[in-house]
Amino acid sequence: MIRRRDFLGLSALAAFGLVMAGCDSDSGSKADTSKARNGAMDSFGVGDTFKATAPLSFTFLFSDQPTYPYKKDWLLFSKMASDNNVTLEPTIVPSSDYEQKRSLLISSGKAPEIIAKTYPGQESAYVSSGAVLPVSDYVDLMPHYQDKIKKWKLEPEIAGLTQEDGKYYVLPGLHEELWPDYTLAFRTDVLEKDGIAEPKTWDEFREVLRKLKKNHPDVVPFSDRFNGNSVLNIAGTAFGTVAGWGLVDGLTFDEGKKEFAFGAGSGQFKDLVTYFNSLVSEGLMDPESFTQTDDSAIQKFTSGKSFVISANSQNIITYRTSMEQSLGKGNFAVRKITVPGGPAGDVIGGSRLENGIMLNASVKDKDSFVALMQYIDWLFYSDEGQEFAKWGVQGTTYNKEGGKRILAKDINFQGLNPGGTKDLRVDYGFSGGNFAYGGTTDLLQSTFNEEELAFQKAMKSKKPRPVAPPVPFSDTDREQATLTLTPLKDHVKQNTLKFITGQRSLSEFDAYVKELDSKGMGKYVELANKAYKAYAEKK
Amino acid sequence: MRLFRVVNLAFLLVVVFLTLYPFLNILAQSFSSEGFINAGKVNLFPMGFNTETYQLILADSVFWRNYGNTILYTVVATAISMVLTTSFAYAIARKDLKGRSLFIGIAVFTMFFNGGLIPNYVLITSLGMRDTLWAVVLPNAISVFNLLIMKSFFENMPRELEEAAAIDGLTQYGVLFKVVLPLSKAIVATMVLFYAVANWNSWFQAFLYLDNPDLFPVTIYLRNMIAGVTTAGSAGGTAENVGQIAANIQSVTIVLTVIPILCVYPFVQKYFFSGVMLGSVKE
Repeated sequence: MIRRRDFLGLSALAAFGLVMAGCDSDSGSKADTSKARNGAMDSFGVGDTFKATAPLSFTFLFSDQPTYPYKKDWLLFSKMASDNNVTLEPTIVPSSDYEQKRSLLISSGKAPEIIAKTYPGQESAYVSSGAVLPVSDYVDLMPHYQDKIKKWKLEPEIAGLTQEDGKYYVLPGLHEELWPDYTLAFRTDVLEKDGIAEPKTWDEFREVLRKLKKNHPDVVPFSDRFNGNSVLNIAGTAFGTVAGWGLVDGLTFDEGKKEFAFGAGSGQFKDLVTYFNSLVSEGLMDPESFTQTDDSAIQKFTSGKSFVISANSQNIITYRTSMEQSLGKGNFAVRKITVPGGPAGDVIGGSRLENGIMLNASVKDKDSFVALMQYIDWLFYSDEGQEFAKWGVQGTTYNKEGGKRILAKDINFQGLNPGGTKDLRVDYGFSGGNFAYGGTTDLLQSTFNEEELAFQKAMKSKKPRPVAPPVPFSDTDREQATLTLTPLKDHVKQNTLKFITGQRSLSEFDAYVKELDSKGMGKYVELANKAYKAYAEKK
Repeated sequence: MRLFRVVNLAFLLVVVFLTLYPFLNILAQSFSSEGFINAGKVNLFPMGFNTETYQLILADSVFWRNYGNTILYTVVATAISMVLTTSFAYAIARKDLKGRSLFIGIAVFTMFFNGGLIPNYVLITSLGMRDTLWAVVLPNAISVFNLLIMKSFFENMPRELEEAAAIDGLTQYGVLFKVVLPLSKAIVATMVLFYAVANWNSWFQAFLYLDNPDLFPVTIYLRNMIAGVTTAGSAGGTAENVGQIAANIQSVTIVLTVIPILCVYPFVQKYFFSGVMLGSVKE
């Protein structure tokens, strides 16, 4: 009992600790880096390999994955020591509770210098404390990082990281292109037998379900998992609003008017719930989709009681294994379909930023600060460093044949080389979540299987939704905004469900918008626009 | 009479079945294959017999090292807790102790207030206990709840017994070790079980204060394992056994952690009887 109380108190205490920690730091001033050049390379530009001129060591907060637990003697580390002259001293934290420990370490002032696996947005909580380095002040030390942002036109995404002081505090993982994974999976054998074409739009999707229902009257064709959050997310984008997993802060940006609005109170949102309401009322979609556990949705799909379900590339494999036992090999075919387009066009949501790193604010006082930044730049943002983190050492763990990377004979990675007895992650430390992420599409897709490559190719025609500008709240405004947003979102979620399942009549949509207003929707949007305008003026 | 016995037997069998069923179901799941688990077909017996997850976990040297740690931590922590709790409880159970209510007050105070997580973390780190066995076994060595149970047990022990022992020439410690403790087997066994189970299951202390995976108890290993497989695998690849492991990792974990406690229980249980002191004092 006491343990649980400790656990719940963690976040509150962390916040308190941060305030305390904030008292004795001066995050405002930018450090003079000219004296912190121990081990740094005199000229370090795009294409250079980083090698410290003196042996250096940095502490590192390491998120430990049970499927490839940390080993001290990984080639990853020994190669860094020999080629980059850098030794990492990791603090090992089980990935299951990584965020709690990170919060504790930062709040108690004991955090390592490099804090890995931080998703954009997670850094906001630590900004006011001054415990985390405003890294945007020092990106001039990172040529590869700047080069990638310019080349891939990531400026809007990076601008989205800005905090109230105009700086940002996290170095995110950068992707060349959007990488869509979640979509709908179809029983393609049933489609083929019935002579139905794959749907390209949400209207066609409904037609397909109708035909399936006609041919198989005893089946509810679509029974979803993830409590419907995945399908609402992708459909929300296509309808020009936000829903499901995409709800996040509830805001949508109007490029014409240059202001934010609350997505779930808009006409587009009404269209979205009206559409899904029609699916449920016509018996095409299982109303339990929004309440049942993932397991029971999977059971229905894998036992042939439904033909459509949400999925990512990993889920597909799980479905297949189950169906081989329940339906028998060769009696089924499952595939991801390309995300359908909607009234807002053929658009998909998502971000090209991935989890990255934070730096302890104390690193700027180290004499090897410049070298640290150069090292990080090389490892996480240079083509060479990213390939090293993902594939390892050419000639040892992999070889290149005509531009295609091929694993060494005895090494396996996620079934790419089933004959291999060793594992790229378990035995060598490469392709692990702490070091390997982001990068060029070529690098990202170099470990995909044929099926996933085909899906990614088909998704190429989709347009990414424009990136919304940042809403850097001040401390007091952030608190106010969070306090308002939580009940607002609850109300949105409840009513999304009620409208779709028909518990509430769609004619009451206007009344619902009024309820949102009485829960502070207008004030919340006002706060967001205020923060955005302050940011836009400063820029 | 006979009818009563039949009904009684039948009723008790139903109760036994209801109590055992969840556990047997978990046991069956842990040996079943993914497809049957996902299809919800596993009840009392394993379907599609499969030991892949067991093999994976049991073949991991880290698992065994951490299992060893858990045994070590449980034994040491329980020993420390028992010594401290028993002596504390015996002292505050004596009505003639000066400042007795103050000592009780100090103990009870910690039930409602504590320093908080971050100050505790800073304290343990400053004491140099981080990344050592002591960080796991020393903080929270006395559970005030257990302390109060023991105190009231000692309070209910007839004073006449102790007086008689004292008259026969036993010192204060002699009374405690030769008379009071032998007569308290039931409460001592209960406390050992309480502490041992709590220590066996605990992971939070170790998670906070240990940074070296070689020192982790098995609970952290298994917790990480469960969380890991549910999010495992990066997209686009093929993972051969992730599905299987995800399907029954929880049941395997439960079986692996419950077995030792199940083995210990019958041995401790024989002390769970009352009436040891029946007739020891004539009033």
